[in-house]
Amino acid sequence: MQAWLEWARGPAFVFSFVFLLLGLLRHVALTAWEVAHVWRRAGDKKLPLGKLLRTTFLWLLPLTRLRNRFWFGLTSFVFHIAILVVPVFLAGHVALWARGLGLSWPAVPNAVADVLTLVAVVTAVLLLAQRVFSRATRSLSRFQDYALLPLIAVPFATGFLMMHPGSNPFDYQATFFVHVMSANLIFVLTPLTKLSHMVLMPSTQLVAELAWHWPVDSGSAVGRALGKEGDPV
Amino acid sequence: MAQPSGKYSYYVESRAGDVSDRPRKFLEAFAAVLEHSSYGIALDAYARVGAKCSRCAASCQLYEATGDPEDIPCLRSELLLRVYRRYFTYGGMLRARLFADFSLTDEYLDRMGEQFYRCTACRRCKLTCPFGVDHGLVTHLARYLLAEVGVIPKALVVSVREQLSGVGNTSAIPPAALRDTCEFLQDELKETYGVDVKFPIDVEGAEHVFFPAVSDYLLEPDTLMGNAAVMHVTGGSWTIGTGNFDGINYGLFYSDRMMERICKRVGAEVRRLKGRKVLVGECGHATRSAWLLPNFLGADAPPVVAFLQYTYRALAAGKLPLKREKIPERLTYHDPCNLARAGKITEEPREILKAISADFVEMTPNRTENYCCGGGGGTVSIDEIRAFRTKKMGKRKADQIRATGAKLVVAPCANCKKQLKEVCEDNGLEDVRIVGLHDLVLKCIDFGSTGGRHAE
Repeated sequence: MQAWLEWARGPAFVFSFVFLLLGLLRHVALTAWEVAHVWRRAGDKKLPLGKLLRTTFLWLLPLTRLRNRFWFGLTSFVFHIAILVVPVFLAGHVALWARGLGLSWPAVPNAVADVLTLVAVVTAVLLLAQRVFSRATRSLSRFQDYALLPLIAVPFATGFLMMHPGSNPFDYQATFFVHVMSANLIFVLTPLTKLSHMVLMPSTQLVAELAWHWPVDSGSAVGRALGKEGDPV
Repeated sequence: MAQPSGKYSYYVESRAGDVSDRPRKFLEAFAAVLEHSSYGIALDAYARVGAKCSRCAASCQLYEATGDPEDIPCLRSELLLRVYRRYFTYGGMLRARLFADFSLTDEYLDRMGEQFYRCTACRRCKLTCPFGVDHGLVTHLARYLLAEVGVIPKALVVSVREQLSGVGNTSAIPPAALRDTCEFLQDELKETYGVDVKFPIDVEGAEHVFFPAVSDYLLEPDTLMGNAAVMHVTGGSWTIGTGNFDGINYGLFYSDRMMERICKRVGAEVRRLKGRKVLVGECGHATRSAWLLPNFLGADAPPVVAFLQYTYRALAAGKLPLKREKIPERLTYHDPCNLARAGKITEEPREILKAISADFVEMTPNRTENYCCGGGGGTVSIDEIRAFRTKKMGKRKADQIRATGAKLVVAPCANCKKQLKEVCEDNGLEDVRIVGLHDLVLKCIDFGSTGGRHAE
């Protein structure tokens, strides 16, 4: 078990984390390239930048956007806070970051991390329940929409058990292994699934606006490409 | 001229049934559009980020009325995104090699043809989507591609044909009839208000060239008289061009190729008359297509002024003389999606209404969040789907109007007006009247003893 754990924390972690970073970087680079490409060709170069920035910011902190489907929106918001804060600001993790990167930052008290960890697990379950029991959401859901929520809950549940060894019915090292490997799996899946929204989200409002800015003569260019220039209406 | 095999709930021309090998042609059109337009950037993002949260379902008036999952905006957009992923992304192509994956069929195109005309592209759902996915854009693009394989509601294509290769406008009004109509409206204004308001025709060098929904000349004379009266009292420089006097652009509803040709005719008429600005009448989609002019004409596109903006500026500058008495009846205001959804024109009409109405009440929700009249995206022209438009799509609108208790609904849009009249008729609101904003402005203008400022 010890060897497996070392492998999970060592090469497997390094591979997953690098895969995550490069994968997300690819999304960002592609988006930036596309934005530049569309902008360069656009006939109309006026963009409502102030409005785009405001909308982007409001959705990054969506507390003002809860009116439509209040409880679902609130659950989702709390879920995101919990899963972002704990991995980065847990004291144990800060120590690991410091060891690996040589960078350090303040940690949240363990009691707060405990609460947030439980919140992450509970909200993941609630969101899954919403997905299963709401007819509208169910009809939209793909495999990944169901599978990612319990997967994300695993490192939090196992992390909680590791912090409270007294109440952990499982072997500590096995728990540790599952904790690390589930996190590694999430890292690998992030660039490949909808989780990529963690880097794409800030660009979506701009992208939606830019898509309406076409090159001059885009309609006739399409007509020419299809050999339909002379066709009657 | 009936539909080919009853595939769609709207009529398509019989020649559309002759298009063979539709899936291949659809994909060819898709490839050409992706190359020459900018839709790819949106599809690429939407194909990756979609969280499938279904918040859009709670904001769609159609899904609220039908409860049919097929009517959820995100699910409808998925119809096109699926084709995009399968044929235009590496992942999709790889999947198709490895597994017996989805492939585009005739039946699938039929389903798209039906579904994308059940959406009015009102874009209300965009406001509630955490990723700002513009389902209206997806509907717009899907209809464009469907048009390339002949799937176009007959009601839309006959209008565009008349405009581009017929008389020159969607209502087939010859220039001589336009002159007659304008003279008649001038006489009417003289008779009712005792003022010599002019409808200037083909005046070179005017600041504004006027493009109303051409149907106003047939159906909404009060709106046009209100427009002319405002120009009269403010001393505005404007003209109507006999070369093109139609602001309607149904290309917006089914084909960018057509939209481009119609927009270029607008640009050409402004140039011919040596005008400086495009002045759009009370019409939502005409205003939005005019705002898209720079897409087709580049940096040379003339600036666009919506009539509501013109009148509001005159009011704010104290140049709009109004009578002391205001309209006593309770009235409410309907925000046309194409004016209000993006937040472009919401306050101007309200300021005007506050100046002329003694009892103005808001619908809830309003402004950017207002519900579509139910006839957006050109569907108002499709008479054969009236029951769908008024009972399902327009149900929320009827409820909204009923809740205000107003018997007068102001809608500065030719399409919204037609649809709202039908919504009221079909939902037990027969006593509600639908009017344009300038119809009311006309009644409140103080022409004074000398016939208004311009005549002084």
